[in-house]
Amino acid sequence: MDDLSPLRDLGRALEHDPPPSLARQRSRLTDAAHAPRRRRLRPRGWTALALAACAVAALLIVPSVLLRSGGHHGRALSPLGRVDDRPLNVLVLGSDARGADAVHRDSARSDTMALVRLPAGRARVTVVSLPRDLVVQLPACVRPDGRKTRPGPGLINSAYSMGGVSCAIKTVEAVTSVRVDQAVVVNFKGFAHMVDVLGGVTVTLPKSVNDPASGLHLSAGKHKLDGKGALAYARVRHGMGDGSDLDRIKRQQRLMADLYGEALHMLTSNPIRFAQFLKAGADSVKTVPGLDLAGMKALAESFKRTDPSKAHYTTLPYRFSPKDPNRLVVNEPAAARVLAPFKQP
Amino acid sequence: MNPGGPGRQDTVDNEPATPGKAVVSTMTAPPAVTADDAELIRRSHDDPETFAALFDRYSGMLYRYVSRRLGPETAEDLVGDTFLAAFGGRHRYDLSHPDARPWLFGIATKIMARHHRREAAHYRALRRSPVDGPDDGPADRVAAGVAAWESRAELAGALAALPRRDRDVLLLVAWGDLSYEEVASALSIPVGTVRSRLNRARRKVRAALGGVDPTAEEG
Repeated sequence: MDDLSPLRDLGRALEHDPPPSLARQRSRLTDAAHAPRRRRLRPRGWTALALAACAVAALLIVPSVLLRSGGHHGRALSPLGRVDDRPLNVLVLGSDARGADAVHRDSARSDTMALVRLPAGRARVTVVSLPRDLVVQLPACVRPDGRKTRPGPGLINSAYSMGGVSCAIKTVEAVTSVRVDQAVVVNFKGFAHMVDVLGGVTVTLPKSVNDPASGLHLSAGKHKLDGKGALAYARVRHGMGDGSDLDRIKRQQRLMADLYGEALHMLTSNPIRFAQFLKAGADSVKTVPGLDLAGMKALAESFKRTDPSKAHYTTLPYRFSPKDPNRLVVNEPAAARVLAPFKQP
Repeated sequence: MNPGGPGRQDTVDNEPATPGKAVVSTMTAPPAVTADDAELIRRSHDDPETFAALFDRYSGMLYRYVSRRLGPETAEDLVGDTFLAAFGGRHRYDLSHPDARPWLFGIATKIMARHHRREAAHYRALRRSPVDGPDDGPADRVAAGVAAWESRAELAGALAALPRRDRDVLLLVAWGDLSYEEVASALSIPVGTVRSRLNRARRKVRAALGGVDPTAEEG
């Protein structure tokens, strides 16, 4: 009993039960849902870069430490053979499935997709994000239940939810003509966890941010963000920069470079923490085809020459679909230029 | 809101029970009953009809809340407007919040602001003609009811006199059962502001009650 109790009594006295006619309001809603889509375009690249950073870090830099800390079982040959210095095209899928097994989840969706090019020598990494609203020709994929999906036009990110990683690879290969050597699925929660194990990431804000939508409330200046904060930072659009998606992508790119730097720093300064980071990465990252430890180690070693500040980030060029201005289609000539590095031998 | 009212489904979308479960196209899959609000909203990005599940979950709760503040006539349309606005803005919903109630209450509050005159009149009308006042019921309860009703009428008068912003906070807490953090999120204001508005509103409401019922407990 508190001083609000009389008020609660009053509320109950005033309250009415929902009438059956409330169903009419439901019809208004479903009518709206049926109406032709007037969906605002929002290419959601938000975590693509951050996820790509973590995926690449986890996949490539990290395992060497794990091996050093006593794992000597990975003697088997890598399915990729000698991957150490060979150029690699990696497809990174950011999944928002919350389970560890992100692949066989009916609700798993690749919310973000990015192609990462690791050239021979690894000096410069290229990341190309694929907008999720891209309409492409989906190939026929075999679903986990054995049935085949029907080929035809569809959203690029539906390939993953329909047919899993293999279907996503097949689709991206068909759309970009880039051969995918390796796919990496990173889940959402895993990203935050990896940042946490990394001890957070430091960001510098030119002015204060107050965005209830993403739960981000920060003053101007330097801040150390935990995993949850880093996720919010990667997503926030309101009250930061010019509020545009481009601005956000820039911010994500900085975040990615910072994460990368912190991971590299930890590799030398705190190998134990780094092993935990690896573990967190291994739990939230799934590789297809699966890399064994030897394969990972070879990749990791090859990555020591990479300068994170020289990584190049971009988005696959697109234009608005002539049929539906709410959809995107690949801008072929421009895309070919962006994808050229992926096609070098 | 009401102890017997439509509680929200507190289910968490967690690890799948069967990891090998077939992947079904989310365009055609029926919305799982266990999906949390954020999951429903996310699915509705591609499959707009999924959003109706949110209506089924919360329209009753919102109707009860709005009927308290504006009366049943306005409540119905307002609930419809709220869900339409929510549907239109579903892409802006922060999917890291599994519970959509603060979001929906926030939208309803914004729409209700257009009716603030009606709301004040609704409360003031109570002083003249009680809706389910002490007129009905056995005689002995009527007597007790009259005193209670008088205090309610005073309370309603105090509510009518509150600045809208303070009233929004007070009623989201007292009638909407939102926590301070949820109110802050619903109204896009800092939690500190929620506290200060709530304190101010409580003081006024207590003062109004104090005139009628000096035994009312301090909070």
